[in-house]
Amino acid sequence: MREITYSEALREAIREEMLKDKNVIMIGEEIGQGYAGVFGVSKGLYDEFGPDRIIDTPIAENSIMGAGIGTALMGMKPILEMMFSDFISVCFDGVLNQAAKMKFMSADQYSLNLVVRLPGGEGAGTGPQHSQCLESLFMTIPGIKIVNPSNAYDAKGLLKTCINLGEPVLFFEHKKLYKTKSEVPEEEYTIPLGKGRIVRQGKDITLVAVSYMVNVAIAAAAELNEKYNIDVEIVDPRTLVPLDTEIIADSVKRTSRLAILEETYLRGGIGAEIGSIICEKYMDLLDCPIKKIASRNVPIPMPASLTNEVIPNKDRVVKEIREMFAG
Amino acid sequence: MKYDEQLLLTFLEKMYLVRRFEQKVYEFAEKGLVFGSTHLGVGEEATSVGTIMNLNKDDYMIATHRGHGQELMKGTSVNQMMAEMIGKETGICKGRVGSMHVTDRAVNNLSAQGIIGATFPISIGVGLAIKLKNLSGRILMSFFGDGSTNQGNFYESLNFADIWKVPVLFVCVNNLYGMGTHYCRTCNIEIYKKAQFFNIKSDVADGNDVVEVYEKSRELADMVRSQGRAALLELKTYRISGHSAFDKHPYRTKEEIEEWKKLDPIARVEEKLKASGTSTQKIADVKKKVDGIIEQAGNFALESKYPEFDASMEQ
Repeated sequence: MREITYSEALREAIREEMLKDKNVIMIGEEIGQGYAGVFGVSKGLYDEFGPDRIIDTPIAENSIMGAGIGTALMGMKPILEMMFSDFISVCFDGVLNQAAKMKFMSADQYSLNLVVRLPGGEGAGTGPQHSQCLESLFMTIPGIKIVNPSNAYDAKGLLKTCINLGEPVLFFEHKKLYKTKSEVPEEEYTIPLGKGRIVRQGKDITLVAVSYMVNVAIAAAAELNEKYNIDVEIVDPRTLVPLDTEIIADSVKRTSRLAILEETYLRGGIGAEIGSIICEKYMDLLDCPIKKIASRNVPIPMPASLTNEVIPNKDRVVKEIREMFAG
Repeated sequence: MKYDEQLLLTFLEKMYLVRRFEQKVYEFAEKGLVFGSTHLGVGEEATSVGTIMNLNKDDYMIATHRGHGQELMKGTSVNQMMAEMIGKETGICKGRVGSMHVTDRAVNNLSAQGIIGATFPISIGVGLAIKLKNLSGRILMSFFGDGSTNQGNFYESLNFADIWKVPVLFVCVNNLYGMGTHYCRTCNIEIYKKAQFFNIKSDVADGNDVVEVYEKSRELADMVRSQGRAALLELKTYRISGHSAFDKHPYRTKEEIEEWKKLDPIARVEEKLKASGTSTQKIADVKKKVDGIIEQAGNFALESKYPEFDASMEQ
């Protein structure tokens, strides 16, 4: 099968849905003329679809979000691009108070087809305001879906689902994934939300890994297997809201150990949520305490000497998982 | 000046409906039937009646958090409005949200937001969609209060309205106070003048004179419709009622309120009618009809059930 990059997969998803339905539009900064997206996702789309479908805006995230909500209220299917996921803070009100609540507040009269694409994560020294993974901040809000593809195949299949979902979606991408390749079929396919994936089968421990951390988990699992004879099962939930708790619980039933690996900040993070769900329902299955492996509670620094300490990497994952077998 | 009697009677009937609706909600509030925030607009009736009479059924509207008059005028039934006020399942939003968020898709009322200023960028999006979907001839009337014009996204949206040329008529209900803070303590620039910085055509009118509101808003609505670009109308008015139903007015004097009562928009239209020779009986008949509608809506709301929690609400 052909291999394409994560960026190309996203572009194919957008392009295919734009060809199918003229209500699908993109709105964002630097997405059309000139840069065609800071990470190149919308490359070529402006030339193909023109300025009424690929809509460049002033630097005004609040208005980008409002334009998305307004066009979605009118039955369109806007895909918004935040240049960096960190910038969503500027339009937090739109996310928290309007997009997320419109369906409930209108008693289902309106449901919004609204996708907000969010390039996140550390990417070679982008520093405290351009490097964050913010998924956990939004997990507490009823009314929005949170999607985290870790590879090109998932990126395409999930984005196609989200564009037509009829609910607001925060679609978290990762800078370090844009150039990664994976097999993506030429034929039409979609991936439903709430269905996780076993990335690597293993019998000793369940490692739930999110977004780019799936790649870190794969590298750590290989080393743990070769050097320490620890067989890791990696679960990629693919979406955090809704969360496939079943796939995680089923895996824990087999392995009796659970660690959660994320680039989000440790405090109040994804690991806290998944860990508590497993504890509430399946505590008796566990042989040892759950381990949360996440970015330390520090703004993401610029130089590698610091990011290597703050953000989980292969060596830290190997060390932390070995500790779970120390007793 | 001579006015068409039927038009004046229509103004009277609609404004009196809005007034009586607010009074009924206040009555419910005093009885403890209204939970949370309920923002009444007694005294502001001309601002919704005069403007929305210039909209077509398929035009769009976004209301303010003090939007009962706007929502009634756009066409939501009095019964469904009243039931929503006291959180009953027969309400237009099934009683889930109450006063502040009335949304009615059937009449293109796209929602009201409780976050002041949040509707500006949404309005730009709606205007953009009207253009992109080639719904030419339709417009959005987007209401806002004086207090919201000090939010940053007011200015962002005026800029977008100019560069994207969206068919939106922004209507400011300037009742002088953002909660308890007088506009003059928050900004030195008049609201209609702020639009002019962004090349948005704007005008200002006596918001307690329904005829003037009707005429000036028609002129701007026609321009927005035919030219496909935004405009802004500032309506100077005053809410005789408090900020919320439970307001004790610590920020203004009784004398000030009494002065504004003399400019009551309903009394003014009645005077015009009488001056044109309309009988007091005819005016009384209009009011009696409205009183009946409100009484019936009140009973409908009272007799309806409260909504029950349903697990499908979980998201």
